[in-house]
Amino acid sequence: MSDTLKIFILFIVSTVLHWTFMTIFGGVGISLNVMLVFACAVCAFMKPAYGYPTAFVCGLFLDFFGVKLFGNNALTFTLCASMVYALEKRLDFEAPVPQMLGVFGLSLFAVLFNVALLKIFTGFSAWTGFWPFVAGIVLNALLAPAVFWAVRRTCCKEKNN
Amino acid sequence: MQKKSSHKKNNSFSDRSNKVLPAVFVLLSVLLMLLPLESPVMSAKVLLSYIFVPQIRAAHGAVEYAEGVNKTIRALLDTHGENERLKEEMAQLRLENAQAREVFLENERLSAALHLQTPRIWGGIWAKTAYREPTQWNSVIIDKGTLEGVQERAAVIAQKDGEPVLAGVVLEAQEHTAKVLLLRDEDFSAAVYASPSGEEGLLVGAGAADMKMQYLPFLSDITEGEKVYTSSASGLFPAGILVGEVTQVGDEEGMHSSLTARVEPAADASAIRELFVLTKPTEKQK
Repeated sequence: MSDTLKIFILFIVSTVLHWTFMTIFGGVGISLNVMLVFACAVCAFMKPAYGYPTAFVCGLFLDFFGVKLFGNNALTFTLCASMVYALEKRLDFEAPVPQMLGVFGLSLFAVLFNVALLKIFTGFSAWTGFWPFVAGIVLNALLAPAVFWAVRRTCCKEKNN
Repeated sequence: MQKKSSHKKNNSFSDRSNKVLPAVFVLLSVLLMLLPLESPVMSAKVLLSYIFVPQIRAAHGAVEYAEGVNKTIRALLDTHGENERLKEEMAQLRLENAQAREVFLENERLSAALHLQTPRIWGGIWAKTAYREPTQWNSVIIDKGTLEGVQERAAVIAQKDGEPVLAGVVLEAQEHTAKVLLLRDEDFSAAVYASPSGEEGLLVGAGAADMKMQYLPFLSDITEGEKVYTSSASGLFPAGILVGEVTQVGDEEGMHSSLTARVEPAADASAIRELFVLTKPTEKQK
C-alpha cells in the first residue's frame, strides 16, 4: 500500500478519534488534540513531502469547526511540523519519553499561538482557563506514545520487521 | 547517534523541499486567514464538510452508542416509576393544552377584531450536541441539518431545570449537521426585555464576560436580579423565552444617554447536550 494511502487511512481514523475524544472531554472544557499528535507523529517518522501536507490538512480539519478565523490551525500545525523536523536532530522520537516531551512542548506552543492568532486577527479570546489548558496538553502528551506507535507501525513497517 | 526510521532514511532528504514546503504551507495558511470569511472560505468549508462530516457522524454515533449502553441499563431499572410519572404528567399537560387552546383561539379572535398581527406558531426539532471544542466555546455543532429542516438563522433553545432557555442561533447549516452560535459570542444579538420592569433593549454577546443589554433608557427602573426574556420585537426568536438574569446595571458608555445591563446567560454553554432548533413559524390565517 502506498504511503499516501496509509497516511490517508490514519488521518480518517484520527479525525474519528479526535471527534470522539472532543465529545467526551469537551463537556468538561478539556481540549484533547489528537490531530496535533497525529501530525507530529507523521512528521517524526516520514519525510517532509508527507509531513507538511499532513500537518496542513490536519489544521484545516480543525479550522473547519471554527467560526471566527479560517487557516489559523493550518498555520499552527505547519509551524509545529517545522519544529518536529528541527527537533528530530536533538530528540529520538522512537522512544516514548521524547515523544511525550515533544508533544507536550508542541501542544503548549499550539494552544498559545492559536489563542494569540485569534486575539490578533479577531479580538476573540479562546482562552478556556489554566487547568483545562494544562489538562489538555498533559493528555496530548500521554496519548503521544500510542499515536506514534500506530503511525510508525503502519507507515514504517520495514523497520519493525 | 540518533535512531531514525529507516523509511525516512531510505528516502533521501531533500534540503530544498525541507525549506520550500513549510514556506508554501505557511503562505497558504496566512492567505486563508487574511481572506474575508465570505464566499471563497465558505465554499471551501462546504466542500470540506463533504469530506469531514462522515467521520464526525461516525464518531458521534460511537459515543452515543457507548453512552447508550450505560444509560439503557440504568433506564431499564427506572422505567416503571418513570412511566407512572409520565402518565400523570401527560394527563396534566393534556388539561393545560386544552385550556391553552381555548386561550389561543380567544387570542386569535381578539387579534382579528383589533386587526393585530396574527400569532405565529413555532415548531422545531430536537438535536444533540455532536461536537464541542473548548477553545471554540462560542459555538457547537449539532447532529441535525438542512435535510431535517434546520435552517440558517434559526433560533436554538436549550432546557434548564425543565424550562426552555435561549441557547443561540444557527450560523451555518449543512445537510446533516449545523453550527450553532452561542449567546456569549460577540456576533450574537437579540431584542429582549427585562421582567418585571418591562424595559426593552438589545442583547449582545460579550465573549467570556456577561452579555450586554444595551440601549436601555437612562432613567429606566431595571434592577439587578431581573429576568431577561426574548421580545416580540425579535423576528428570529419566539417571545418570552428566558435568556438570563441581570447581574449589573450601569452607564458603561459614560455618555449619560443610556444604560447597559450585564446579563448572565441562563444556558450554560459547557452543559448543553440537547437543543431544540426552531423551524420557520407559520402565519395562522383566519
